[in-house]
Amino acid sequence: MTVNGRPVQAYAGESIAAALMAAGVRVFRCSEASGSPRSFFCGMGICFDCLVTIDGIPNQRSCMAEARDGCVVETNG
Amino acid sequence: MSQTTEIAIIGAGPAGVSAAVAAAGAGAKVTLIEEYARPGGQYYKQPAASLNPARLPHSLADNIQRGRELLAGLNHPNIDLRCGTLVWNISPDRVLDLYGPNSAERLQAKKVIVAAGAYERVVPFPGWTLPGVTTVGAAQLLLKGQGLLVGQKIVIAGTGPLLQLAAVQLLDAGAEIAAIVELKSRAEFFAHASKLFGQWSKIGQGMANQKRLMEAGVPIKYGYAVVRGLGETWVTGAVIAKVDSAGKPVPRSEETIAADAVCINFGFVPSTELTRLAGCDQKFDPNFGSPATVTNPDFETSVRGIFAVGEVRGIGGVEVALLEGRMAGAAAARQLGHQPNGHDVRKEWERARAGVESLSAMFAVKPGLYEAIADDVLVCRCEEVTAGAIRSAVRSGAMNLNSLKAWNRCGMGRCQGRNCGPVAAQIIAAELGVSPELAGVFKARIPIKPVPLSVVGAVEEAHPTGTAMEDHVGYGRAVVR
Repeated sequence: MTVNGRPVQAYAGESIAAALMAAGVRVFRCSEASGSPRSFFCGMGICFDCLVTIDGIPNQRSCMAEARDGCVVETNG
Repeated sequence: MSQTTEIAIIGAGPAGVSAAVAAAGAGAKVTLIEEYARPGGQYYKQPAASLNPARLPHSLADNIQRGRELLAGLNHPNIDLRCGTLVWNISPDRVLDLYGPNSAERLQAKKVIVAAGAYERVVPFPGWTLPGVTTVGAAQLLLKGQGLLVGQKIVIAGTGPLLQLAAVQLLDAGAEIAAIVELKSRAEFFAHASKLFGQWSKIGQGMANQKRLMEAGVPIKYGYAVVRGLGETWVTGAVIAKVDSAGKPVPRSEETIAADAVCINFGFVPSTELTRLAGCDQKFDPNFGSPATVTNPDFETSVRGIFAVGEVRGIGGVEVALLEGRMAGAAAARQLGHQPNGHDVRKEWERARAGVESLSAMFAVKPGLYEAIADDVLVCRCEEVTAGAIRSAVRSGAMNLNSLKAWNRCGMGRCQGRNCGPVAAQIIAAELGVSPELAGVFKARIPIKPVPLSVVGAVEEAHPTGTAMEDHVGYGRAVVR
């Protein structure tokens, strides 16, 4: 898959959040109000902090989405 | 047209899966709906298909094996498993609105079993929104599901027996545990643990964990709390402080611990959004500071035909969840005229439930810790509302969680108050000098998690009467305001 245009290796079926963390991506997005950095927090689809853009669709929970061959991920950091 | 099913089960964790297996075994047609891409829930999350389980620590092997055995039961012609599907609306007459791979769908069920599980409670501190600060469960999921460590040097903080268990799993996976920071004093912790008399497997596991941690030289800081997370774009450590008997940090007792991950858990919050939305009666659990769904002995809620099992009824752990699922699945099938087989497990359940009562007290948070949240600390992560803003709203008239929203949008962001609700309730209660129960709970609203507007629109278009956007005010009797 690619992350912000960079090729990244991921295991099929692992979460996009895990693939990002394994690739050293730390800040997934910045908060709307203060712009503070956010990342993986609850890991189970509750907190909505780990939102990224997946295949052009914004605000996807990276902890709930599985990595697929060729998927295009953009962080919003 | 709506689709129909005999029994819709929401959540494919331990409770939901065992309910599905029991109901399907009795001959009922079951639709099992799971938000995540795969069944198992958090407890029985299975490793990603391409991950070699041999890479996972030995301490997780048993968990994975038991989960695999349970999930094998889903391979049954009567079970329609729908993964990657969110139930975002439920009505008291058991109409469910779904958002999944087939986009918007509506399902009418004769019986509904809510097995939505729980999520983690975190008490905020400055820096808790920093990347690298996660829940303890998030670190466990990352390890179980993906074989990945959240950090190399980890601080685990909060309260309850889960901290030590998670520490052992992370240790076995190769992490360094910089410290376990436990809110309860050593005496309090072991006084609670001693009440588990008779629960030999739990005591045995607790002792094995302690031995493992001692051998590895992991410092367990009893009677401490994290008071600050350090770092700019990733956490670089935690400042911890001693707490007094009320839970308030003691001045000049601070220590700094370097770490590249800080994992927090102060127990769990039952996921009651759907049962509250349907109008099912709730009761307040003081140990977890949250509502839990009330049921009769057959696990049927106050709304006929809607059942609740597992953590939704109050935090009880996996054994209780498995047994409740089994009994509720059988009860729902029996109501539909099917003949459940298998022996009665009520006696086993009563034993398991009795042990839970003493375990729950191990998760209680001392009120002083909430009072010590400084005014500039974010409580609502989504809308970025501080403890000070909540206190000032209370001083100018906000009397409970729902009126608080009008002042500062606390709880109105994407997580819909799941993170901040239990904390804001404590802050309001402390300001007003009342019980947290009186601060109430954020009203459950549809969609219970964000969905695209097009999904709501599709339901509106297909079902112009009895619409999804109908307000649920007035259903049932709200025991928790």
